Amino acid sequence: MSSRNPSYTNPKPCKHLEDYKLRHGLSGYKSIQKHLKATPHGRTSVEMLNTGVPRCNSCNGFQGRLYLCLICNSVSCLDHTLLHIQSEDGHDLAVDIERAELYCCVCCDQVYDPDFDKVVMSKHNMGVPRGDKHGDESIGERLVKRRRLGLGVAEELVDLKKSKQLVSMRDRRDKSCYPLGLRGLNNLGSTCFMNSVLQALLHAPPFRNYFLSEGHNHEACRRRSGDRLCLSCDIDVVFSAMFSGDRAPYSPAHFLYSWWQHSANLASYEQQDAHEFFISVLDGIHEKEDKSRNRNRDSGDCQCIAHRVFSGLLRSDVTCMTCGSTSTTYDPCVDISVDLDTSNFSPTDIVNKRSKPNENSSISTLLGCLDLFTRQEKLGSEQKLFCETCQEMRDSVKQMSIRRLPLVLCLHIKRFEHSPVRKMSRKIDRYLQFPFSLDMTPYLSSSIVRNRFGNRIFSVEGDESDIITDFEIFAVVTHSGTLESGHYVTYLRLRNRWYKCDDAWITEVDEEIVRASQCYMMFYVQKMLYQKADEDLSSLPLSPRRDAYLPIAG
Amino acid sequence: MELLRERLVECGWKDEMKAICRAFIKKKGRNNVTVDDLVHVITPKGRASVPDSIKAELLQRIRKFLVSAAL
Repeated sequence: MSSRNPSYTNPKPCKHLEDYKLRHGLSGYKSIQKHLKATPHGRTSVEMLNTGVPRCNSCNGFQGRLYLCLICNSVSCLDHTLLHIQSEDGHDLAVDIERAELYCCVCCDQVYDPDFDKVVMSKHNMGVPRGDKHGDESIGERLVKRRRLGLGVAEELVDLKKSKQLVSMRDRRDKSCYPLGLRGLNNLGSTCFMNSVLQALLHAPPFRNYFLSEGHNHEACRRRSGDRLCLSCDIDVVFSAMFSGDRAPYSPAHFLYSWWQHSANLASYEQQDAHEFFISVLDGIHEKEDKSRNRNRDSGDCQCIAHRVFSGLLRSDVTCMTCGSTSTTYDPCVDISVDLDTSNFSPTDIVNKRSKPNENSSISTLLGCLDLFTRQEKLGSEQKLFCETCQEMRDSVKQMSIRRLPLVLCLHIKRFEHSPVRKMSRKIDRYLQFPFSLDMTPYLSSSIVRNRFGNRIFSVEGDESDIITDFEIFAVVTHSGTLESGHYVTYLRLRNRWYKCDDAWITEVDEEIVRASQCYMMFYVQKMLYQKADEDLSSLPLSPRRDAYLPIAG
Repeated sequence: MELLRERLVECGWKDEMKAICRAFIKKKGRNNVTVDDLVHVITPKGRASVPDSIKAELLQRIRKFLVSAAL
């Protein structure tokens, strides 16, 4: 029996269905079961073995919808179902032959029964999901692998060159009206990529709460590992400084140095990609945690703060186009990179362009991108996969969905396209509309998988009724410029006001400015945590919580 | 059949039909609509709005099949 799903209530059965179930139980369904045939694309149909083309008993017609009586197996077309129930009493329930859907001849309408759908779904080979547990690989390696496997476009490290900006002005105006923790970050030489992501991390509610409440203890850390390099310790220092109450812009020089030591390949004064930085910081936090934790603890999910806050689970279903059997894999992720929904961009192989003039192809939206991400994608003929059931290489269809949402959802927009013809990449400046409140229900595995099978009622893995799907945005990292040279700015949403964080300069801005900005990374947090964070901010006193630890810079 | 379905999805016909269904259901009220009603409303509209290119392609395929089957 499927469990209750809040986004999906089982429709109430009609009286006739109830009567039928009382009298016949599941026997009718079971007798149909052997005649059900699963076709790829999530469809099911009924195949009566004896006759070739099913025909109506009354008029011998074979066109349109044909219904098979569940009790006496006689076939009627739509016009003659009434005739059948008149001649045979109680033969109310039938099955649409082509679609395998229940039909009540008295109500003249389709009806839905979880037990019937369960029988239908049993015909679809869903395979055994393999939860890949890469316990030993660091998060960075796993992500690199995911990139190489799944994404066709070559994603080179983006080098953004920017001329050095002289930071001569130090704004010491007392901005005590600003929320606590809002403080500029000095640009230390093309480090706007770092500053922008740091601002977002500093104000991610669960992340912030962890560090501000001594989640990471320096002494214990040094005592335990003795290792000098600990990114978490350095982040902790940044937190203390940023939330100290001092409003002068802060220079995260020590943190930068630590991060260079961790990501030696990115250590330079050249511009880097903010998303790369984000991934490497989370990797750094995780690695240290991994080393110090007892490796024998096999609880499955990593408990480092990076994972606890950002880690979610993606589900990938690959379906054989010939027999319809599906193989499922689960992959953890700390963010979701989506392609821009570029309906205007026409690669050479698209022939069937949308011909409807009233279609709104002019504005790309975040929901459109997420739709694209979870759409069924036909894998090209050069990407044939081996199907276990067919025992052959077959054309397949792949579909992504989200099995588990993280506390903080980081959405990364892939704003670059690689032209194989010209052998170069360029940035896509196309505007992307994004909402401030996001409901992720339609992108969950339960919704996507159910939808694939015509919204049949059956339980999907992850069908808990208490899954939180409402998210609120709290940070937007925007980029302006080209692939080679540009500038990152972060917009933070605190106490329902938007603040522009442009390196050392913090200004309050109108939300329209944020909506019109060119978003690159968006940070959403679960709605409850957002509301609670708002309360926390208001109740926090302006004086620092740990003034014994860090002296306030004068 | 699968080819026809694929083509209809690709060109947006299916989405258009879905939108028409939704509008109809909104107008009538969710509990006052049966599948039969929808089918009767949709069928003429659907038949009329199939793009010519799809019709042409499928007719071509049928012709080819008939020729090959007749030999």
